[in-house]
Amino acid sequence: MECKDCRQQFASLLTGDVNQSQRSLIESHLASCPGCKAEFDAAEKVWDLMGEIRQSEPSEAMRINFDAMLKNYKESLISTRNPFDEWMARIREYWFMQAKPGLAFSLLLVVLGLIGGYILHQPGQKVTSYNRQIDSLSSQVSELKQVMLLSLLQDPSASQRIRAVSYTDEITNVNNKVIDALFATLNEDPNVNVRLSTLEALVKLSGDPGVREGLVRSIDLQDSPIMQSAIADVMVKLQEKRSVTSLQKLLSKKGLNKMVKLNIEKSIQKLI
Amino acid sequence: MLKVKKGDIDKMGLLYERYHRQLYRFLFNMTRQKELSEDMVQNIFLRMLKYPEGFIGFGEFKMWMYHIARNSVYDHFRKVKRSPVHSDVKDYTERIEGEELTDASIEKEQELKILEAAIDKLSDENRELLILCRFQELKYNEIAKILNTTEGAIKVRVHRALNQLKSNYLKIDN
Repeated sequence: MECKDCRQQFASLLTGDVNQSQRSLIESHLASCPGCKAEFDAAEKVWDLMGEIRQSEPSEAMRINFDAMLKNYKESLISTRNPFDEWMARIREYWFMQAKPGLAFSLLLVVLGLIGGYILHQPGQKVTSYNRQIDSLSSQVSELKQVMLLSLLQDPSASQRIRAVSYTDEITNVNNKVIDALFATLNEDPNVNVRLSTLEALVKLSGDPGVREGLVRSIDLQDSPIMQSAIADVMVKLQEKRSVTSLQKLLSKKGLNKMVKLNIEKSIQKLI
Repeated sequence: MLKVKKGDIDKMGLLYERYHRQLYRFLFNMTRQKELSEDMVQNIFLRMLKYPEGFIGFGEFKMWMYHIARNSVYDHFRKVKRSPVHSDVKDYTERIEGEELTDASIEKEQELKILEAAIDKLSDENRELLILCRFQELKYNEIAKILNTTEGAIKVRVHRALNQLKSNYLKIDN
């Protein structure tokens, strides 16, 4: 064993933190090396002397103080523990224990309900069949309205004819037959009011190019000042440039109302 | 201690009975002040009562106690800005009284005084190490646990501390 290694073990030898083989190694080295032996003796002397330092003892009062402190602490614990809180905690604990199986059962019920509903419902089948029924019903109603409209337009009463015209709003798919009937009413109906309401109904259908053309054509056929004026307004509203020639033709007509003339002139200006 | 944690506060009395002397000695050797050490023992036990959650169950109560004790000591050192170790004079006089004043005893007393001065001259860390292994008689592995290091490191450090003490002692002796 080297001297350096041996000296590093002195502390461990003194504290007893060495095993038997290490101890005998060190001791044999010490026996053969006077330098290390002297070093060890010095260390041992200090070590032993340390053991002789008398240790201070705690006073009696300390134990009494501790007991008093423990008692105080226990009392403070009891006083801070509110009886209401304690009851609440107990109830909460009880409820929680009760709630566990109950909660599981209710969750199970919810899941069962969802599964049952899914099976009974069979989504995608009944819904579409219902929808189909509703679709066919609504198309039937629309057809019925169309028939009513066409028949009512022939009614001798003007108010009935106005009603017939108003049905156009309710018919979803207006076909050519209806449009033709409406134009016939617009151009030939003896009552101005009927014609006016027909004009309004046709304006709503002006998305169709056929309807626009028909409206332009009907300018020539109107002889009532109200209708002439109204149709000129409609042309401005629809920005229908093709109507300019028809309107100019109307201007050259004899016996045209002065107000209508002014109105049409303004309309032509706006359109050009 | 687990029982104390569960609310059986009376068990703290048992722990006090078992460890208070050991704890007091450690604190006294570190601070050299009797009253301060006694107060600290009290505070440490109160702290263990109030915050038992610091004790995590495994590991020994003793290790936990030393952890807290070390914290208290170093807190104290920080507070007093590390004034040189001030020993209670009364404690020395207590010791001398009642001893026969023979030549041998006077010589021994002299040696002990030199040794204590040598211990006081050590750094806090070295002093603490020697206190733990000599006065508290803890094993290297226990000290390692308290200081959060390895047994090997403690072995080297104790060796160095003892060397330091020895040279301090010889310096004063001469």
